[in-house]
Amino acid sequence: MNNSTQPNNFISDEKKLRQKRRERADSRFHWYGLTALGLALAFLVFFFVDIIGQAVPAFYQTEVKVNIHYVEAAKTNYNKAVDHKLRRVVSRAWLRTLPVYLKRHPELIGNNIKQWVPADSRVDQYIKQHNGHGLKSKYQRIVDAMAEEGRIRQVFNIRFFTSGDSKLPENAGIFSAAVGSIFTLLITMLIAVPIGVMTAIYLEEFSEDNHFTRIIEVNINNLAAIPSILYGLLGLAIFINFAGVPRSSALAGGLTLALMTLPIIIIATRAALQSVPSSIREAAFGLGASRWQTTWHHVLPLAMPGILTGSIIGLAQAMGETAPLLIVGMVAYVPDAPDNILEAATVLPAQIYTWAGESLRAYEERTAAAILVLLTVLLSLNGLAVYLRKHFERRW
Amino acid sequence: MNTSKVNIKDLKLWYGESEALHGIDIEFSEKRVTALIGPSGCGKSTLLRCLNRMNDRIPGCRIEGQILLDGDDIYAPEVDVVQLRTHVGMVFQKPNPFPKSIYENVAYAPRIHGLAGSGSDMDELVETALRRASIWKEVKDKLHTPGTALSGGQQQRLCIARTIAVQPNVILMDEPCSALDPIATAKIEELIDELKREFTIIMVTHSMQQAARISDQTAFFYMGDLIEFGETGTIFTQPEKQQTEDYITGRFG
Repeated sequence: MNNSTQPNNFISDEKKLRQKRRERADSRFHWYGLTALGLALAFLVFFFVDIIGQAVPAFYQTEVKVNIHYVEAAKTNYNKAVDHKLRRVVSRAWLRTLPVYLKRHPELIGNNIKQWVPADSRVDQYIKQHNGHGLKSKYQRIVDAMAEEGRIRQVFNIRFFTSGDSKLPENAGIFSAAVGSIFTLLITMLIAVPIGVMTAIYLEEFSEDNHFTRIIEVNINNLAAIPSILYGLLGLAIFINFAGVPRSSALAGGLTLALMTLPIIIIATRAALQSVPSSIREAAFGLGASRWQTTWHHVLPLAMPGILTGSIIGLAQAMGETAPLLIVGMVAYVPDAPDNILEAATVLPAQIYTWAGESLRAYEERTAAAILVLLTVLLSLNGLAVYLRKHFERRW
Repeated sequence: MNTSKVNIKDLKLWYGESEALHGIDIEFSEKRVTALIGPSGCGKSTLLRCLNRMNDRIPGCRIEGQILLDGDDIYAPEVDVVQLRTHVGMVFQKPNPFPKSIYENVAYAPRIHGLAGSGSDMDELVETALRRASIWKEVKDKLHTPGTALSGGQQQRLCIARTIAVQPNVILMDEPCSALDPIATAKIEELIDELKREFTIIMVTHSMQQAARISDQTAFFYMGDLIEFGETGTIFTQPEKQQTEDYITGRFG
């Protein structure tokens, strides 16, 4: 301000220099942060764009319009129902359903109907112009000709959501894996949440701080950091070999995942309980509330948002887990959705893992689509956690 | 002239290995205000918390001696702590209303002890308690709003209302005004003066002026010992012990 050179305690060359250095360090730090954030965002965007780009074709299935010969011979040999040259064009999975269909509808025999039927996965991939579609050039010419005649269309792939796994990709879907996931997660939830919350309440509100509880505490914290595949071994040893729970069943998987989720829920619940001010406990005790009343009426409602969030995050983690399920036999080919928790089942991440190893090109997009479904569910669960926290916090 | 309400005989207390109270003998008279004064760590809050057995919750805390409430030993094995605390209520240093409605704050204790149903009986009980804590006029139109939304002084009076809702005989107050401004403090002091017509009040305070203003009797503690106990007027004008005089006049502590 004053342009003189008289000494000023606040402005000297040395101090200016230091100030500049400080400001440079500040802005450097600022940029490091922004770069890290930008990189993380870029990865995330790349991941989502890639997954969605790959997954979208899986929601469409090519259909072809062909003559279906409803003849007596098709009851035993479904190949007789289509012209020889079209056998590789029409989905074998669809053709296989013909004999049963004919037996149910004998009146159709003798008819020759031009109708839309699902195309073979190689035709489907060829139409979608994917590299590695695997369609021989002989059939490519046939399909090209059909396309010109308008006998090829793409429809919504409802089978992806209604059918289970299949060795014929056009018939493969996530239904059985989704049912398996729901069963497994329900068991995990019913076991891990109550036991975890009660354990945390006991440790936080009831137990005395002695050697024994401290050992338990250290162990729980360590358990949360154990590689998840080891829980699979534990589950195998306890539930399958010792308790005789059927292998590959949702029960075995759910119990195993419950073991894995327990420490996470216990730690989250304890943190939530610790965050309740002790003045609330004193107030309740001072009014003559018992320990249980204090916990149940005052502490627990205040800790609820934290407990819910922790439980949901823990369950979401369990839902995305594959490694421990590998050991209890849930990463398997399961074409039919389980009817109960004792039947063989698989889960969504395991289905993704299985499909990722398949060689046919059509599985690639299905893998991506299944990932997208799993991600959607997990993001919804996390969204639910956020919503519940907000909702409960509003009730003072 | 005054009947004794609480009678403490040779009370010793340990936190683990360290002895916090070295044999206290004191009698608190019925329907009077007794102030416990002394520097921090002198054992006055510890003593207060023995009277409704809040110390039971502290691990490693152990006592010897007797505390008689109306002649009954409150540390006798057959005594139910829950019952004891309905006879001996407590108001804390920091106002700590439950994060529930004003109504719920007051109704909670009567409900868990089965003193009133949830209908008009309870409404009446809540109103009476709030009136006696002179906060009724301020909150009667917002009984179902959160108690935590009130000002600090109002919260403390709500806590007092909550405590007297179960009709205790004795009210313990642990520095009830230390978190409040002078105006809110004045209101609480006025209230204490009202309440002593019905309740025996024992309060810990760090304010000499407060002790002098509202208490009938004053007990001075130092390092876990009761140094002097007597009528407030006497303690503040002609203390027997030099230590008491030094503390009261601000020469130490």
